[in-house]
Formats: sequence, structure tokens, C-alpha cells
Amino acid sequence: MVKKHGRRVDVLAKITGKAQYTNDMSFPHMLYASTVRCPNPHAKIISIEREQAEQYPGVVMVITADNIPGIPSQYKQKPILVPEVVRYEGEGVALVVAKSKVIAAEAAKLVKVIYDELPAVTSAEAALGKNAQKIYDDGNLLCKYKAGKGNVEEGFKKADHIFEKEYRTQRVDHTPLETEAAIAVPTTEGMTVYAPTNDAYKARLLIAETLGLRENQVRFITPAIGGSFGAKNYDAGVIGARSALAAMLTGKPVKMVFTREESMIEGTKRHPYICKYKVGVTKAGRITAMEIDLIGDGGAYLSKSHPVATRTLIEASGPYNIDNVKSKVTLAFTNNTYSDAMRGFGSPQVDFASEVLLDEIACELGFDPLEFKKMNHIKENDISGVGQVMTDVSLGKCVAEAEKASNWKERKAELASERNKGGSKVKGIGFALIHRGEAFGAAGQGIDTAEVQLLVNNDGGITILSSMADVGMGGHTMMVNVIMETLGVKRERVVMAPVDTSYVPNSGPSSATRGTMVIGNAARLAAEEVKDKLAAIAADVLGVLKEELVFKNEQIYSPGKADEHVNYQDMINEIFARGQTPSGRGWYTVSGLDWDRANGFGEAYLSYAYGAAVTEVEVDLETGQVSVDKFIAVHDVGHAFDKSEVIGQINGGVSMAVGMALFEDVDSKIGHIKNTNFDKYLIPTSLDMPEMNSIVVEVPTKTGPFGARGLGEPTACTAAPAIINAIYDATGIRIRELPANLETMMEELKNSRNKTDLN
Amino acid sequence: MFKYDYLRPASVKEACELLALHGDSAKVIAGGTDLMVQIRDEDKKWANIKYIIDIGHLKEMKYIKEDGDSICIGALSSHTDIVKSKILQKYAPFFCEASSTVGSPQIRNMGTIGGSIGNASPASDPVPPLIALDAEVKVVGTSGERTVLLKSIFANSYKTTLKVDEIITEISFKKMPTEAKSVFLKLGRRKALAISRMNVGVIVVVDSMGFVSDVRIAPGCIFAVPDRVKIAEDVLLGKVPTRELLVEAGKKVSEEMINRTGIRPSTEFKKPAIESLTTRALSQALEVE
Ligand SMILES: Cc1cc2nc3c(=O)[nH]c(=O)nc-3n(C[C@H](O)[C@H](O)[C@H](O)COP(=O)(O)OP(=O)(O)OC[C@H]3O[C@@H](n4cnc5c(N)ncnc54)[C@H](O)[C@@H]3O)c2cc1C
Repeated sequence: MVKKHGRRVDVLAKITGKAQYTNDMSFPHMLYASTVRCPNPHAKIISIEREQAEQYPGVVMVITADNIPGIPSQYKQKPILVPEVVRYEGEGVALVVAKSKVIAAEAAKLVKVIYDELPAVTSAEAALGKNAQKIYDDGNLLCKYKAGKGNVEEGFKKADHIFEKEYRTQRVDHTPLETEAAIAVPTTEGMTVYAPTNDAYKARLLIAETLGLRENQVRFITPAIGGSFGAKNYDAGVIGARSALAAMLTGKPVKMVFTREESMIEGTKRHPYICKYKVGVTKAGRITAMEIDLIGDGGAYLSKSHPVATRTLIEASGPYNIDNVKSKVTLAFTNNTYSDAMRGFGSPQVDFASEVLLDEIACELGFDPLEFKKMNHIKENDISGVGQVMTDVSLGKCVAEAEKASNWKERKAELASERNKGGSKVKGIGFALIHRGEAFGAAGQGIDTAEVQLLVNNDGGITILSSMADVGMGGHTMMVNVIMETLGVKRERVVMAPVDTSYVPNSGPSSATRGTMVIGNAARLAAEEVKDKLAAIAADVLGVLKEELVFKNEQIYSPGKADEHVNYQDMINEIFARGQTPSGRGWYTVSGLDWDRANGFGEAYLSYAYGAAVTEVEVDLETGQVSVDKFIAVHDVGHAFDKSEVIGQINGGVSMAVGMALFEDVDSKIGHIKNTNFDKYLIPTSLDMPEMNSIVVEVPTKTGPFGARGLGEPTACTAAPAIINAIYDATGIRIRELPANLETMMEELKNSRNKTDLN
Repeated sequence: MFKYDYLRPASVKEACELLALHGDSAKVIAGGTDLMVQIRDEDKKWANIKYIIDIGHLKEMKYIKEDGDSICIGALSSHTDIVKSKILQKYAPFFCEASSTVGSPQIRNMGTIGGSIGNASPASDPVPPLIALDAEVKVVGTSGERTVLLKSIFANSYKTTLKVDEIITEISFKKMPTEAKSVFLKLGRRKALAISRMNVGVIVVVDSMGFVSDVRIAPGCIFAVPDRVKIAEDVLLGKVPTRELLVEAGKKVSEEMINRTGIRPSTEFKKPAIESLTTRALSQALEVE
């Protein structure tokens, strides 16, 4: 069922260098703004002295929170400029607007801010402890949720073995190639802002709130985007609002572009998590109960921590059949950079924990980890850890593909016998399995909506109007494919309109892997409306029922009577001739989920994506170096609109997760980030990538357009646990805290040698 | 942001004169892969900088040639020049290997061997092989030219003994005897574009009777200034190499590290890592399992 539809929508502009990114653009009389940042993780602003900066040649204006005509932020959200209390190091307290970028940056150093330093709380555990320094008047608790089913106490009684384990994940940066950037241009109506973002409408709202304008007085345009991975959500609103504020106060266009260091220091990050598990298992290898305690670091502000917390809570028990589950999640405010969406939206943290956990249990009880997971994973109509009846479950198929491609049993035995021969480099194989709720799910009902419009011209050309951001994932190409497949028209007919909030409707954010599922469905519904209008006329002309018509290869006909067809173009001409319009509108909303929020029970998501992975690693026992040699990634996409897009997504997701597994770690123990550029914050290079074998499974869902499932985030979920499990297979050492860098590996290798020496 | 003027002398002599004229406020730039990064970071070391003197175009310092039983390398030779040099591949293959691990292709095209020495980073990759080769450098200043041991150029980490008006123009060393074996090993945090966490260059010569007649062990990243480790070399010199001796030599290197730099938080990692890297390099060179 894999089809090839040709080019990505944005490919020509990008490979010829014609694509315009925000930093490529400029306007007459444009000024530049630079942010004055607080050097302490927690401090009260006593005074801000602007004079020296104002007198610096070329400086136009110094701006502080007092100058904001609207509001600096909603309660507990990150302020555009801090009015009183700075809650993490690097937050913006003032702006310097100048004639050049260099002048703005230099003069920013001359703004003298007097602070009253407050004690900083830099870990979730510390923040939740008794007598912890309060970050907000009502304390440091960001949110607390619980979920589960059955009775874990009863479940533990039925178990023969009880396991208690703890896992920790680190703070990770999104590192898109393009840093945060914005240009604001004042207009007679209000303000136009150009900036890369995942969510144009949300960024516009933030800007309108800052400027004290109505939303429709702000026009938000998204130029080409140089990657996001979740980084360009709230952060895009912040830089957009800062430039807009400066533009409003100076009456001139204002540009801001963050350096990599600024992006590292101020930008959102992945939530670090501590995951504590207690599991009961029978001799036969059935899991009878699982109790989970998750603690997450939300950083200084709210952002999307609530939905991230809910997702981790729902997915923490893994894709397994467990009668008794009890889980809770607690997120704390800390004096760290605020945490937000990052590819996976919480899933990678709990997938790492639960997939390593089950591997550990299997190994300790003498089961093959893959067999053990096969035995326990949910099948069609099984009940999830939060009580949802699971349908369109393709885990069996994913596991089978992974098992076949890796030749799991034989390969595992082969590597074991290779290891027996000795040597300082050893190889091992690891497995991981995932399920992942699509879109925001029950917790996001009411906001998980999308509108898409199709403008159909006299010549049959179709323009898609949607605010969907193509952050590199090929979302626009997906929409074009949905329209083509629904209307049976040629690729050349369909064009994507630029994302401009003055013209395109709100399709919601490109996050939580909701693009294909939610926005794709809105696009499908819009195309269905066009189809319906054309079908009514075609039925009339052909003298058949409109319900039976097929749209294919630019023709419309009744099945079995393909020779008696009408052409798409003729029907377009006809509909206009009749004084009607073929244009259509689609609205999709995730609703009707029966979810008990207080108890965390019921229908959590409309649908799920599934995946499995097998990886082979080589560990250098003498230096601690880990090399990921091979990676088999199996993902059920429901329906592949474009296979090369799917494989590109998988490779990209795996590379991010290799970074999370082995290198990446924002070094910020005392609230001060030390690795602020790519010389010290290491991400994988192409040479660190394993040999990839990406396998596309297509088991359609009832919900996605053409049965498609989302893919962007699941791809980043399997690699960390699979790699850590493979390291165990190779060495017998179990890494429970990411990343498995040189130091961690050497320490664990030493510990395990000491242990064997004692025995 | 540091502000400075850019000067472009027409010869080495003129460059030295400019250095003499501007003293501490001037600095030469070759490939700029270290200097530009440090200036952008506003490294305190360059707080006084007023002039950048570009020597990158001075072709007279870009060569690799044989001179009797020596090899001479112009200081402006890029890492790529070194990797590709047939002469070096023949007489100092581990030096080519080390240079091939520097950064990325772009960095290797821009970065020069003179810059690697001038930067004096303890984590340099091409320097340990040169130390193992007992390389010498030719230094030119306004008062003339001198040739000194490369080792003596390093004063401390990121500090050289060069006088303000001096420029390194050439690096030279004696050709390794044909029976010599050399190995360079590097431990980075990832497979490419990684600054060494640890590295080592070794040369060994085994005589016809199977005894080690020459051995040089030059580890990187563990001393403030690069050096050979005599106490480790002595373990092997005059002996028939065995696995035990190689392990012993590795231990001596870490002992020397602790002697010179004391115990630090990183020692826990560095000690076993440099021991195994050294032992591994020696065992590859000596083909001892
Ligand atoms: C991304 C990146 C990755 C890197 N990876 C590695 C790596 O893996 N391994 C490694 O060893 N290095 C690495 N480096 C460091 C760097 O590339 C080398 O040290 C390089 O060879 C420096 O040479 P250059 O010509 O660019 O020096 P420059 O930056 O021009 O100069 C460096 C210093 O030496 C002085 N200097 C230059 N030439 C002379 C001369 N002829 N006489 C006297 N003084 C001189 C300069 O004044 C300056 O102080 C990396 C650098 C970057 C930016």
C-alpha cells in the first residue's frame, strides 16, 4: 500500500537556498533588539538602571517590564520580561533596541540591574522537600495526578517476585539548527510578526496579550522553519512578543535572533524525570501489579507541563497487560529553564523507564526479554493501564517484524558466544517496545481541534489554508497527499498557502504527534466537502447515486462503469457555471473520550501508535565507549502517504534518541548551564548513527485519515531503552540514569568488576 | 565583543615586525579555528587584543618535504595537507592518523599544525605524535631564528614560551626507522568532531632479537604540557614485550599523571582510561595480544 507521490512541498525552495528563514529577511529602517539577562537562578529585581545603555551611541531605547502595555504573562507562565522575581538564570529582564545587532548586544551589557539574590532550588526532589525555598507564594507543586485500575495490594499478593527499581532521565535541549528568531513590523492596524513557530495562533495570542491588542490586530506569519522538535512553542511567542513590544514602542521594524548560547540558556527543555517502579511478577512471568511514582522537573514556569505530566502518567506502565496498576505523577517548579514539549512529549522518559524495567525483570527471572514482552504486551481489546479498551493494536505485528529482521534468537546467541571468546570490545543486542497515545488525548479535549480550508479556483487548482507549521516533519506534504487521495487529483493542482494568521484558519500546534491525526483529518473533511459538492453534480450528469461515485485519476465514475465517467475539471467548470463554489472547510475535534480525570481512568486517547526496535551495540570495556552499530526501527504508521518521508522521520527520531541515550545532558546542577554551545553540548554526528533498517507497518486505525497514525514522536521513544538494554546484554551493567556517557560507563564497569572480584 | 584591526603582512619578517610593534595587543592568526572561537567567547586571554595579524596566506610556510634524514613541515600546513602527504604517510603514519581525527573536514582544511602548537591545548591530537617524534620547531623573531625542541614551546596549558614577536615557521623531526611501528589512539565522546578526552601516540622499535630497542610514549590530555613518559618507556626498553609489561607501562603513565597533576574528580575516569589506551596502543604497535 506504499505509494510514491513525488516531491516534498518545501524541498525545492530548501535545496536551492531560496527558502526564506526569518534571519534572511530585513525591512527598511529595521532596528535590532538584544535581551538583558539575569545572571542568577533566583532573584528579586531591586532596580534597573538604563541610563548608561541609553547613552551608548546607536541605542534607540531600553525597555523593561514596566513598558509593557498589556500583560507580561498569564499567571505562572513565563513573562516576556520579568517584572519582579527572576525564576531561572538567563531570563530576560530588559531589552536594548539599537541600530545594529552588535550595538544592541554591547549596550545590553551596560544595563545595570541590582538584584536581591534568593536561594535557588534546582531539582524536583529538593523543590518538593519540606522547608524548600518557595518559587511561588503557594509553593513549588506544579501538578499532581494519579491514575490506575484494579488493586495493586491484591496484585502484589499474587506475585512470586517483587521488583523495585528507579530510573532517571536528564534535561535535554531540542537543538534545532535555527535558533529562536523574530521580526516585528508595526502596521496601521497593529503589528505583523514573522517568526518560526509550531503554533502561529498561540504565538499570536501571546503577542496580543503583551501589546494589549485584539488577536486580529496582530498578523503572525511563519517563514520557513529550521527545525523545532518542540522548541518553537512558547519560546517563539516570547521572542515574537519581545520584538513586537520593541517595534510598538519605537515605531520601527525590530529584529531579534538568539545566539546558540541564548537559546540554550533561555529556551525550554525536555522534562527531567525520576521514575520509581514496584512490580509484582509470577513465576510464570505474568505481571500482577505495578505501582509507579513519577517525579518531574517542570522548571520555572508552567508551559505545557500539565499535558506532558498526564501523558507520562498514562503511558508509564508501558504497552502491557497488567490487572492492577497504580500510578502518580508529581511535577515541581524549580529554578531551572522551564520544561516544555520536546519530541515525545513525556513518552521518551517513561518509555526508557518501563522498557528497561521489563528487560531487567525478564533477565533476572531468566526469560528472554523479547519473549517476556511478547507474553505480556496488550493484544486487541485488552485493557490498558488506565482502563482503556485498546483497539487496532499492532504490537504483535511490530514485534514479529523486529524479531524477523534482527533474527533475534540466533543473533543473541551468536553475540553471547562471541563474548565468551573474550576481548576488550563486546557486543550486545537490545529490544524495546512502545505504545503512544496520539494527539493531546482526553486531557486536551476542547483544545485538540483543527480547521482547514480548501480554496478551489476556476481552473481546478486547490489552495490549502491551514496554520499548520511544517517544522520539517513534512506536515504540509502530508496534507497535500490527503487532498490528492480524497479527490483523486494530480499533485500539481494542490498548493499550500503560506502560514499567515490573517488568512489561514487555526489548525492548532504541530506537537504531540497530532498533525496527521487531527490536522490531517480536518484536511480530509475539507476535501470531503469539496468531493460532496462535485459528486452531487457528477451524479446528476451521470444519472447515478452520488454515494457510489469514485474519484480517481482526475475522473469521477461509478465503480464498474469507469468508461461512463466525467472529468474533475468539467465538474469544476459546471459547479461555477451553476453559480456555486466547490471550496470546502474541515473541522476536526478530539472529543467524546470518556476520561475520569480525578482518578485517571478511562479513554485516554482516541488512538495509539505502536513501535518496536532492536539494536546492536559495541562497548569498549576499557574506555567506556559505546557504539550503536545497528538499529532496526519498526513503526506502525497506519497508512504511509509517502514512504521516504516516513523513513526520514524514523532516522531523525532515532538520531535524537541516540543523543539522549549516550551524550546529551544540559549541565545545570546549580541552576547555571555550563554547556551552552555545540562544543560542549554534544549531539550525535552522522558517524554516530547506526546502520538503519526502518520497517514501515501499515495497520490502519479507525480514526486517522486513511487509517494513518502519527509518527514524529514515537520514533524518538525506542532508542534509549533499546540501547541501554543492549549495553546490558553486552556487559551485564545496567544504566538507570541517562546518558550513558564515558564517565558513567567507566564507573559502572568498575563497579561491576569490583562486584565480580568480591564474588 | 572584542574589537580589533586586521593586518595582513606580506612576509614572515613583516609579521614579526608588526608583532614587535604592537606587543601584547597583537596576535597572529593562521586558520583561525581556535583564535576566532576564543575571541567570540570573549576569552579573558584576549581581552587586550587590538590587532589580528593574518599569516594564513604566507605560502612560504606551507610545505612538507624531506631533508636528508629529516622531515620538515611548514607551520601553515593544514591538517588535510598532513593527512594527504605521501612523505608523512611513509615516515610518520601515526601523525597522519592523529591529524585525520581533528574536528571535521572543514576544520582540517582551515586548521594548521602551527596553530595546534600555538594554541597549546593539552587535548591537541597532532601534538602527541610530534612529541613522540622528539620534533623540533623553527621559530622566527625580529632578532633572528632559533630551533628548539617542540616540548620546550609549551609553558602551561594554553600558554607557550614564544616571545611576543615570534612565529613558528617550521616543524621538523627525524624520519622513523623503517622497522619502527607507530600508533595513535584517541578517545572522544563521539565518533567524529570530538575533542579528545584522552589520546596517546606511541612509537616502538623491536630489534632482530625481539628486544625493544626504542620506545616513546606520548599521552595527550593528562598533563598541562605534553611530554613523553620516561618511567613508562623504561618498563619496555631492552625487554621482550609481554602483555604484562604493556599493562605495567600503562600503569606507569597514570602514575605519572597523578604525580604531575594530583588527584582530581576526573581522575577516577582518566586513570583507567589512559592506562587501557596506552596499553592498547602499545599492543597494537608491538602486535602483542
Ligand atoms: C569545531 C572544532 C573542532 C576541533 N576539533 C579538534 C580536534 O578534534 N582535535 C584537535 O587537536 N583540535 C581540534 N580543534 C582545534 C583546532 O582546530 C586546532 O588546534 C587547529 O589546528 C588550530 O589551527 P589554526 O591554524 O586554526 O589556529 P589559529 O586559531 O589561527 O591559531 C591558534 C593559536 O595559535 C597561534 N598561532 C597560529 N599559528 C601560529 C604560528 N605559526 N606561530 C605562532 N603562533 C601561531 C595563534 O596566535 C593562536 O593563539 C577544533 C576546533 C574547532 C573549531
